[in-house]
Amino acid sequence: MFNKLRIGKKGENIIFSVFVLIYIAWCISSPDMNIESLKSVLTIGLSVGIIYGLVALGISLIYTGLDVVNFSHGEFFMIGAFAGLTMFNVLGDQDWIFNVFPDAYGWIVYVVCLFTAFVSMGLFGVFIERVFLRPLTKKGGGYTVAGMGIIICGFGLSVVLINVAYLIWNPVAKPFPAELGLPMEIGGLFLPITYIWMIVVGLGVAAGLWFFLNKTKMGLGIRAVAFSKDVSNLVGINVPLYISIIFGIACAIAGIGGTLVGPTYQVVVFMGYIILMKAFAAAVVGGFGNLPGAIVGGFTVGIFETASSFYISGSHKDLYAFLLMIVVLMIKPTGFFGTQVKMKA
Amino acid sequence: MKVDNQSIVALLGGNGTGKSTILKATSGLIRAWKGSIEFDGEQIHNLPPHEIVGRGLVQVTQGKDVFPAMSVTENLRLGGFILKTKKQLNDNLEKVFNYFPRLNERKDQLAATLSGGELQMLCIGRGLMSNPKMIMLDEPSAALAPQIVLDIFKNINRIRKDGLTVLIVEQNVRMALLLADYGYVIKDGVINVEGDSKKLMYDESVKESYLGGTKANVQ
Repeated sequence: MFNKLRIGKKGENIIFSVFVLIYIAWCISSPDMNIESLKSVLTIGLSVGIIYGLVALGISLIYTGLDVVNFSHGEFFMIGAFAGLTMFNVLGDQDWIFNVFPDAYGWIVYVVCLFTAFVSMGLFGVFIERVFLRPLTKKGGGYTVAGMGIIICGFGLSVVLINVAYLIWNPVAKPFPAELGLPMEIGGLFLPITYIWMIVVGLGVAAGLWFFLNKTKMGLGIRAVAFSKDVSNLVGINVPLYISIIFGIACAIAGIGGTLVGPTYQVVVFMGYIILMKAFAAAVVGGFGNLPGAIVGGFTVGIFETASSFYISGSHKDLYAFLLMIVVLMIKPTGFFGTQVKMKA
Repeated sequence: MKVDNQSIVALLGGNGTGKSTILKATSGLIRAWKGSIEFDGEQIHNLPPHEIVGRGLVQVTQGKDVFPAMSVTENLRLGGFILKTKKQLNDNLEKVFNYFPRLNERKDQLAATLSGGELQMLCIGRGLMSNPKMIMLDEPSAALAPQIVLDIFKNINRIRKDGLTVLIVEQNVRMALLLADYGYVIKDGVINVEGDSKKLMYDESVKESYLGGTKANVQ
């Protein structure tokens, strides 16, 4: 019976295109539609989307490496934002930086913050993987009962990390007043400079990851471990070490995402959860486990969310990402780039 | 069980008798419950798999275990993952292409597009990339045409002549015994018969362990 209901890849694409066309028509029929609003929707959508994309990249990376979905990834994002903010406050007390670089002061400090978030979250991720997840991966990894254990461990870790952050930084939302300069004018649109930082740094990180995975020896090893741990063992790759590296890189990217969001919004202890959910939606839309798909999915979710809240209704902003995820799962379950569906816990 | 330096030893047995398990235990993918495995005079059964590869003992899996989304060259480069310098890597690539010229013709293709025989060549080539002292082949003839099997077996003989030790697990008893110097036949996880391959070829009990040990009474 279910065989008759299957529509195949071509059918999926046609139905999905129809859905996209209906959606675009709906947006165009909105009274707010004009070229100015479209420009701002696209830029805001892209800048939010790259953040979803970065976190989704980490989720996909961990999914390929450890065979499980890491439900504590949003917390690495949040702690990354706090790590950047802490570095920012430390550097803010140092007058000598301002004296040496009076013109470039703001962005030098911000780059140092991004770098701090990247390195510290990378090390923190390796620590978490070694201490909390290693005993579970040793018992069999994602395909076995232990895989369920890792997922539940992820939820628990999320609660623990939120509460640890609560103890350290207390629940008050903190501003991240990075002095990056005045809004920039691009195509008749005044954009806060932080949006441009988000898009440029985010794409830079994604491109760097692509280069790392495809052009370096370590990247070759990571791709091998992601495909098959047994064969990787047989060619002499230290698989446990590479799983740690994969987890560390994923967390480091999430940390950069957190620091990028900081100046635009605020840094709060509870910011990780909703980002995790939307990044999850982005990963599903792009094709779970596919790395370019994660970035494309992030952009799609970001633009869809911004456009919907602008043209359809702004009062349910957080709903649209999940709506898109449900539609994609119904019509095109593999997402944009997902090729094969593996059974994983 | 013992494998001499620069020899080819065949490990034979029916389905589910534990041939592949022996290989997996030797290469460290699974832990041996008891007993010990020695290589070059050192115990290796407690080492993690990547260190066993580092000591020069490499398992070559069946042809389906390649990385399909990578090119042939990338697959081979992965085989030489433990090599330190680029020069060694390129030398070994040359060596593998010398053994299997077919791989050189297809070096930029994705591994997923290769035929069964080429995949098997790729697997053996990948095993040779790390300068091993001994390779263990897991059913190199599985699901291949006889002509290709012959070609691969000739190359295995060449590999031995170049100074490597080979342990070969086979279902294709006749071919394996023709190639090997010495043979072990295992049944239910223990060695049933062993001996010179010439002798084993005419041994009745070899047939017996392949037919499950029940002899039909023909009268």
